[in-house]
Amino acid sequence: MLTYIYDGSFEGILTAVFEAFSRKQVPDAILSEHGLQQDITSSYIFIDTDCAKSDRVYNSIWRNISEDALKNCYHAFLSEDPQAGTLIYRYLKLGWRMGSRVDLHLSDNTVFNMMSINRKLEFEVHRLTGFVRFRQVEGGIFYSTISPDNNVVELLAPHFAERLSDQPWIIHDIKREIAALYNTKTWIVSEFSADDIPLSTEDEKLYSVLWKQFFKTLSIPSRENPKLQRQLLPRRYWDHLTEKW
Amino acid sequence: MGDYMELMDKLKVLADSAKYDVSCVSSGSSRKNKPGGIGSSMPAGICHTFSGDGRCISLLKILMSNCCIYDCAYCVNRISNDLPRTAFTPDEIADLTINFYRRNYIEGLFLSSAVVKSPDHTMELIIRVVRRLREDYRFNGYIHIKAIPGADAALIEEAGSYVDRMSVNIELPTSDGLRLLAPQKKKEAILGPMGFISSKINETSDNKRRFRNSPEFVPAGQSTQLIVGATEDHDLGILKLSEGLYKRFGMRRVFYSAYVPVSNHPALPQAVKPPLLREHRIYQADWLLRFYGFKAEELLDESHKDFDTQLDPKCDWALRNLEQFPIEVNKADYFLLLRVPGIGVRSAQRIVKARMVQKLDFADIKKLGVVLKRARFFITCKGKYIDKLDASEDFIRINILAGSKQPPMVEPGYTQLSFLPPSNQAMLQGLRPWMALSAPTGEDVAASMTGEL
Repeated sequence: MLTYIYDGSFEGILTAVFEAFSRKQVPDAILSEHGLQQDITSSYIFIDTDCAKSDRVYNSIWRNISEDALKNCYHAFLSEDPQAGTLIYRYLKLGWRMGSRVDLHLSDNTVFNMMSINRKLEFEVHRLTGFVRFRQVEGGIFYSTISPDNNVVELLAPHFAERLSDQPWIIHDIKREIAALYNTKTWIVSEFSADDIPLSTEDEKLYSVLWKQFFKTLSIPSRENPKLQRQLLPRRYWDHLTEKW
Repeated sequence: MGDYMELMDKLKVLADSAKYDVSCVSSGSSRKNKPGGIGSSMPAGICHTFSGDGRCISLLKILMSNCCIYDCAYCVNRISNDLPRTAFTPDEIADLTINFYRRNYIEGLFLSSAVVKSPDHTMELIIRVVRRLREDYRFNGYIHIKAIPGADAALIEEAGSYVDRMSVNIELPTSDGLRLLAPQKKKEAILGPMGFISSKINETSDNKRRFRNSPEFVPAGQSTQLIVGATEDHDLGILKLSEGLYKRFGMRRVFYSAYVPVSNHPALPQAVKPPLLREHRIYQADWLLRFYGFKAEELLDESHKDFDTQLDPKCDWALRNLEQFPIEVNKADYFLLLRVPGIGVRSAQRIVKARMVQKLDFADIKKLGVVLKRARFFITCKGKYIDKLDASEDFIRINILAGSKQPPMVEPGYTQLSFLPPSNQAMLQGLRPWMALSAPTGEDVAASMTGEL
């Protein structure tokens, strides 16, 4: 088993892909150094991230495969699946052979896995555009917490920057300790810890209680179906929902 | 915020009265936010949460008022019902909408109302709310309102210029039902505004083609709702009605709501449980009309007026039309693929894509999302069935119902009958012995493949 180790960044994966081609090797896996468990039967090569190399791969994906393929790879990286690096490498190998038609090969395992990782991530982004709950804190900022399966704050931010453009907001991923911060003009993603969150405003309590009341009222007792509710609104999202506190 | 407790009580009453309206859809509109404004709409719609009954909540769904002058038997707000009566002011609604929206609780507002004083007066109240939201708050989120039957066309037109979707509920599938249960509502008063809205929509989209900045009129179209199980109507009548509504009025959606007993009017069934399965079957059929290219008369006819409770409408149709199968997955066009039980819109689209680059086999289409458990009886891949199969209607029915993961051969002595509810056991009595109890012989299989049974 030949395994490449990268530093956990997207550029790291692309550098590893570059190295595999330039060293004429076929690594069996490309893994992140985070959470890596080494075993004695494998040989490991640590790849130093090199932006000149990753840029070449990046441009080549865009030019020789498709913009979609680039998006697929980046989303696979954001999924934080341990196999993401390996998958991206295999997908790109196919992509450079087949060009933009690679995504039609849905029954190929690599393409299939790539598509299902992407589908899961996009579904979670879509869900969260609905499940994010802001509360107004002192200073007029609207603050929310999430702990998504995929690393999606940066994909959520544009949606809320358009929609809630006149209010400053924070979407805090407490699992990864990062947040998207918006100041009514632009948004950035940065490291963030929950220590210095101001208290909620007075108004906040009123609206959240009204919302809970509304939520409770809307269910029709004779149609009660908790199983369906859990299927559509999985438990893991409940902690962050105002109506479920 | 004025009187908080008062607002809370109003919300309780007026959300409770609105909850029987099924639609909570926020799709079909792509309003963009403008500088200094708040809100936007996504064409696909966004569900914000799901209530204890599993229904999506995406809009603040409330009544303006529940003080109704009508006495419709199926309705919780009828004048003769002993119920606390209250009404929101336009400012209260606008404030709630904006503040819920800022917290991302909702996608917008769904405002309906009981008929207060007169249809015109009610419509004017609704217009005051939407004008306040759109003009004063510069709100670009989703707004769905009810067009009040009997209101003046000019008012409906004005309201339509502000909102994303408008709906008039048809409530009961036939005018007989209407006469019996909603004597003050006339069929014409319901279909009139529908026709008006649909002609305005057509006119607007015509104008849009010619003038870029011509004003919008309900860009997300109109929808309606009807109650299932309050009257004696068959599924056939309901489905034909829906088909007509889609065709004649360009309806975006027809919603169905299983009748929930909210009254003990003598003309109403005193059902303990709402007919949820029936509602589900009608929804499935509705999907078949809208996305699968089916016609109502294909799914049901005079000899077959209601949907099968055990099989979904597509399976049921396929079993009655076995002569149209099998279908070759690698050749059939998109709409033919859609007719196969176990192949949905998404898997059909994937098949069409994937077969551009390679011939597909059963293992491949399984990956693409085809439910082979049902599809296997109706398709071939590269000219072959997945297995030696008996393609008779009863055999397929039994195997689909049994939900068996085993190859659908029924081994001698191994009885799949135990999977089935007693009614099916009875049905099986009439079958030829080998079908139900033993594996078909090679000869039978060959015969059934060529249709010579």
